[in-house]
Amino acid sequence: MVGRHRLFVRRRDGRVEVRLNDMGRSVVREAFGHVVAAERDSEHEWHPGLNPPIDPGNDQDDPLATLSRQNDISTNAELAVMTLNEEFLNDAEAWAWLSTLQVALRSTAIANGLLSDEKLASCDEELLHFVNTLQRLLFELAECF
Amino acid sequence: MRRTTTDTDVLTEEAVETQRPWNVVVWNDPVTPMSVVVVIFKKIFGYSNNKATQLMMTVHHEGRAIVWSGLRERAETYCVKLQVSGLQSTIEQEQ
Repeated sequence: MVGRHRLFVRRRDGRVEVRLNDMGRSVVREAFGHVVAAERDSEHEWHPGLNPPIDPGNDQDDPLATLSRQNDISTNAELAVMTLNEEFLNDAEAWAWLSTLQVALRSTAIANGLLSDEKLASCDEELLHFVNTLQRLLFELAECF
Repeated sequence: MRRTTTDTDVLTEEAVETQRPWNVVVWNDPVTPMSVVVVIFKKIFGYSNNKATQLMMTVHHEGRAIVWSGLRERAETYCVKLQVSGLQSTIEQEQ
């Protein structure tokens, strides 16, 4: 996946062309799959990263706001999973990819305690590679918006 | 002469309490690419590229930024949208 060509290209017709090879698609598949699983399983290591408080000063977080967040994360992640093998994404699908990749990146960081530059620099190589891959995907997809 | 609290006083205090705006705060993290934060601010709030970039830089340099202020219900909605997009955000009432 990590060639020099662009990974996502916004075409004239408005669609986003996905230029990932099999390895790139497998990274995306893994990330999206974890987000969907974490939303459904409170024991999943990414689950806490998906459910932060809205008002930290209030122990009883707003249940409607929490429900809305969970529904929206699930909807984005499920749409992203459904379009995993597409060559072209429409705007809503591309946004679902961006949101889900970012949720995956943030959840990875929280689950592994990567909450400072120092921690990130000292994490193991495999984890750092996964984080850097998600960052590159996000960086390139953000160029399409 | 000692002045007693009236119903009007109480009502006025409650009104002031509810009128203080709620801030939507976005917090820094070491992994999110800067350009992603800008895109999310533009998409959710409809901000210009300049304003979104300015807010992103505030988050980056100061650790947090108030990205929107107003009624509590709308603040919660924006906060949820930011969280759904993978940014760390909270709401707080202005002091």
